[in-house]
Amino acid sequence: MSKNSTRRLQAASQAWRRYSRNRGALLALIFLIVLVLAAAFASVIFSGDPEAPDLSKDRRPPSIINPFGTDYLGRSQLTLIIFGARTSLIVAFAAGALLAVLGTITGLLAGYYGGKIDGFFMRMADVFLTIPALPLILLVVAVMGPSLLNVMLIIGLTGWPTMARIVRSDTLSLMKREFIEIEKVMGANSRRILFKHLLPNQLNSIFVYTSLSLPAVILTEAGLEFLGLAPLSISWGFMLNTSISYWITGAWWLSFFPGLAIFSTSLAFYFVSEGLKDALNPKLARRRESLVAQVVAEREK
Amino acid sequence: MGFGTYITKRLIVALGLLFVVTTLNFAIVHLAPGGPEAVLLSNPRLTVEARTAIIKSLGLDKPLYEQYIAYVRGMLTGDWGTSYFYLEPAFKVVAGRVPATLLLMVPSITLTILIGVALGILAARRPYSLLDRALSSVAFFFYAMPAFWLGFLLLTVFSLYLAVLPASGMTSVTGVGFNPIDYLRHLLLPMLTLTLVNVANFSLLVRSSLIEVLDQNYIMTARGKGLTERTIFYRHALRNGLLPTVTMIGLYVGFILAGAILTETVFSWPGLGLLTFDSIFRRDYPIVLALFFIFSAMVIVANLVTDIVYGLLDPRISYE
Repeated sequence: MSKNSTRRLQAASQAWRRYSRNRGALLALIFLIVLVLAAAFASVIFSGDPEAPDLSKDRRPPSIINPFGTDYLGRSQLTLIIFGARTSLIVAFAAGALLAVLGTITGLLAGYYGGKIDGFFMRMADVFLTIPALPLILLVVAVMGPSLLNVMLIIGLTGWPTMARIVRSDTLSLMKREFIEIEKVMGANSRRILFKHLLPNQLNSIFVYTSLSLPAVILTEAGLEFLGLAPLSISWGFMLNTSISYWITGAWWLSFFPGLAIFSTSLAFYFVSEGLKDALNPKLARRRESLVAQVVAEREK
Repeated sequence: MGFGTYITKRLIVALGLLFVVTTLNFAIVHLAPGGPEAVLLSNPRLTVEARTAIIKSLGLDKPLYEQYIAYVRGMLTGDWGTSYFYLEPAFKVVAGRVPATLLLMVPSITLTILIGVALGILAARRPYSLLDRALSSVAFFFYAMPAFWLGFLLLTVFSLYLAVLPASGMTSVTGVGFNPIDYLRHLLLPMLTLTLVNVANFSLLVRSSLIEVLDQNYIMTARGKGLTERTIFYRHALRNGLLPTVTMIGLYVGFILAGAILTETVFSWPGLGLLTFDSIFRRDYPIVLALFFIFSAMVIVANLVTDIVYGLLDPRISYE
């Protein structure tokens, strides 16, 4: 094994040690892995059509056969929630990736080139931060249709500005470092500086922020479904939408379990981001500042 | 640069943003599958004659740039199209719902600011104390909480099992005039939902802003002079630490608005949020378009106001 890859392995195992020291982050990671596996193999775990109604069993409270109760069509809520995880997870990862890529590219270019390019991207970020995101997303999805692609695209497209600002400010502080100066003096071209130095040096913080943005993505997508704009027929938010008419009957499990699924998944992503912060950026972790506060503060600048 | 120029600049930015919002509306309508005719004329009750008449009156038979100019002029003069469901001007329908939303949002924002500042001060007073850490935990608990789910939980507990508070609407009886106690009873649950999902996060902002100020040199000077920690905190740090939070309030209006749309739906609060939910269900696109415009306008105005207040409060601001 080369010296370089040994060093990398060591760094990874140290990062993992720091990550696993955070109990909440470890539990959250296990929860998410189980959820992803369950959603991926849902059709294997549960035989039969999860959507097939059985009106003779409608709105049964939680029992041993149906731990989460049955919904208004008599379908097992546990099965629906496992299948519903697909929508949330697909949208979360795809929209998260899109906002990360967009934010990183614009932030890097703005920070590196400065001047007009910086002005253009940052004004655009300001506009996107001022215009309320949820109403814009609602409008676009309502008019264009609630397809999975539309939902992922619009959430990603409205989510990049905070990432762009973080990447830009990290780029600016990296540019003041000596090794970048030396590269420049030695005649390195822009592409080398951008992709060999500026980008790799902030991948850690890009990872941390992306994972931190996932709770917001999940809540936005669930909110869309709750308002009736569901991309797939089984989804957590839409289960809450249909439960509106039934809460008065005392069927609390209709809204409780889908909501709990949304809440625990979004909380799990938050814990993972805290763990990643400890693992990848020990300097940041030592300050013990809450990530939420940091990111929101960055957003307000 | 003087204060007058600063305000003028802010006003121009606000108008520019409104213009961007109008353009977005126009673009979305024209990029929609089926184009503007599908979006604006999806009313099955329309006869062929009425349809051609509307196409003519909307200028949909004219070139795109002329349509755009007509659209912008329409938006700026309050001509926002006609609702298919209410068969009334969209402007009138939307404007009629603004008071209810304000009756929910204004008390909630006020409460969020008051409690958020108080909790932020408590946490920043002794950073990393038990109280401070407890507050951070609560903050990310609510950061991950869907507002509509919290609303359902409160509904089930307070309206169904305890049966102490009304579950929906803004008043019990309509048409008897405004009864403040009745309104407050209806307000309590939605306001609690909206405040809970925002207040913890806001208090973290106040806290980090205060802690940042406590690190600065002039606080060290104050300590060097032998002032008590109490005086330093309340006399020297507090004022400067709270200033940046003023600008945050403007941006927070956007978050609170998103929460209000979902909360109103849960509690059938007859404001813009419930109208959003209903109009999406009815595919009443002129209303959905008008709602996006009015929501954006609310946030833009809130930002403008906080910018001006900040300018008035902070003597150091360079009005750049």
